[in-house]
Amino acid sequence: MDRLLGLETEYGLYIEGVSVGELTAEARRLVQTISSRAVWDYRGESPLQDVRGFRASRLTTHPQDEEIERQSRHARGPEPRSPREDHVDRLLRNGARFYHDHGHPEYSTPECRSLWDLLTHDRAGERIVWAAACRYRQETGRYVAVYKNNSDYHGMSYGCHENYLVRRDLPFERLMAGLLPFLVTRILYAGAGKVGCETGPEPGAKVYQLSQRAEFFDELASVDTLHRRPLINTRDEPHADPARWRRLHVICGDALMSEYAAALKVGATALVLGVLERGYGPPVELRDPIGAIKALARNPEGGWTVETREGETIPAVEVQRAYLLAAQELFEGRDRETDWVLREWARTLDDLEADPRKLSDRLDWAAKKALLDSFLESEGLEWETAPLELLQSLELEYHSLDPHRGLFWALQTEGVVKRILKEKEIERARQLPPRDTRAFLRGLCLQRFEVSAASWGRLSLKQGRRTVELDLTRCVDEAIDGRELPPDASLHDVVEWTRHLTDDAQARTRR
Amino acid sequence: MPERTTRPAPPEPLTRPQEDGPRTPDVERPNTKDLLERMKRVDPRQARRYRQRSGQ
Repeated sequence: MDRLLGLETEYGLYIEGVSVGELTAEARRLVQTISSRAVWDYRGESPLQDVRGFRASRLTTHPQDEEIERQSRHARGPEPRSPREDHVDRLLRNGARFYHDHGHPEYSTPECRSLWDLLTHDRAGERIVWAAACRYRQETGRYVAVYKNNSDYHGMSYGCHENYLVRRDLPFERLMAGLLPFLVTRILYAGAGKVGCETGPEPGAKVYQLSQRAEFFDELASVDTLHRRPLINTRDEPHADPARWRRLHVICGDALMSEYAAALKVGATALVLGVLERGYGPPVELRDPIGAIKALARNPEGGWTVETREGETIPAVEVQRAYLLAAQELFEGRDRETDWVLREWARTLDDLEADPRKLSDRLDWAAKKALLDSFLESEGLEWETAPLELLQSLELEYHSLDPHRGLFWALQTEGVVKRILKEKEIERARQLPPRDTRAFLRGLCLQRFEVSAASWGRLSLKQGRRTVELDLTRCVDEAIDGRELPPDASLHDVVEWTRHLTDDAQARTRR
Repeated sequence: MPERTTRPAPPEPLTRPQEDGPRTPDVERPNTKDLLERMKRVDPRQARRYRQRSGQ
């Protein structure tokens, strides 16, 4: 997709007999079932740094979660002395990062340039997390379930974040203005679907929402992620040359089960960023983006509209279509992935307009709604009379990673939902990094050499008594080709090759 | 960089009138027996027990 992409997913965790206050300790234990020789290097992390030029003093936390944090400290003993001790990071051979965050096992894919690589690695990540859960179950004898979703039906949300490398010379204000109408309206195809609602004037109402996550956003832009979440996260942590790049950290998306929906979500967003980088502006300005995303989510029937700043009511699908037209104008014919995204984006918008039920073979929210409707019909129940708790329990099972229980996997096996990824490549991605990004170097070094510490932008390697530092922050501009390194490459070869990649990037910067 | 503004196309009716009246859409509904059996085995109280910490 002509830029580095990544996905990071916080998984929901249920362990029989374990309270929410004890989940933090158990989530750490689950991650620890996977061994890792290298430690994570936190030097490049700055979650409080705001892209608008200041540093926040702290991240706002959920008042209820503060109480759970107190219980968690009691359950796990003394306060962690370092991020390393708290997060229990695992650097994996495929270039990914698997760790613990706030009671959730979290998996970050390696950096990918290809949309198919990204989705393949995301799916491989699900299997790695589930394998860790199975090992935890073997070790403890406890029943464990892992869910790829975004809320617990009791007001707590957790994220699936998208990362896109974006040119720094696109002013942030333009990036934000250009993205807001797109992000608000993309939930029409990028929502995972949810039974019930947890915030606002009617918490506990028996409604069907397009999105798991939309109701948890209260601000347009801020550095926060845990509470009072923003549609645009302003964290400035590029993990690349900060003079040239931003890492756009999109936190308002849903965790998706459908490969097709995930491809559309990330692919369309990547293309829209390309549109904005080329100087295009937004098609409209919305009067109330936060109210709009919540209202769109609360309508599963179709006929979605949004209100512009000028007070005009327009179809939300048309806002998407305006972005699509610009992307077609600029990128049609660029490569097969781009053409797939453009074609399927157009087809999805047409179907959303004509009859959203047609999308039950592709989009999570539509597939899940059709599944629930079928179940109710077979049981002789009506939506109005079926217990909310039953509907939510069924919905939760849709998101289970357990291949023998998860409802999504059954839909996939039955051929009801479309597949776009190849099984063989998913299994390969559990072991091997993509060959065309710096993740290749991370994976290679982990397999071949003694890595003492690693992060997205840096590798520290032991060579005898000395430590060799590889700076990967400049290896992001263009695709790299791992085949250039000989199969028996020495550490010296790797250092020289990395220097060559960095020199090339510097030469491009000077030009 | 060129300054361009993308504009949405003029709003059109979301449902176009059909000459022969409304028709059932061509939608595949998941009604296979195994899938429904799997749904019947779901613990109807599992959502109540499911409690998480606020994540990012």
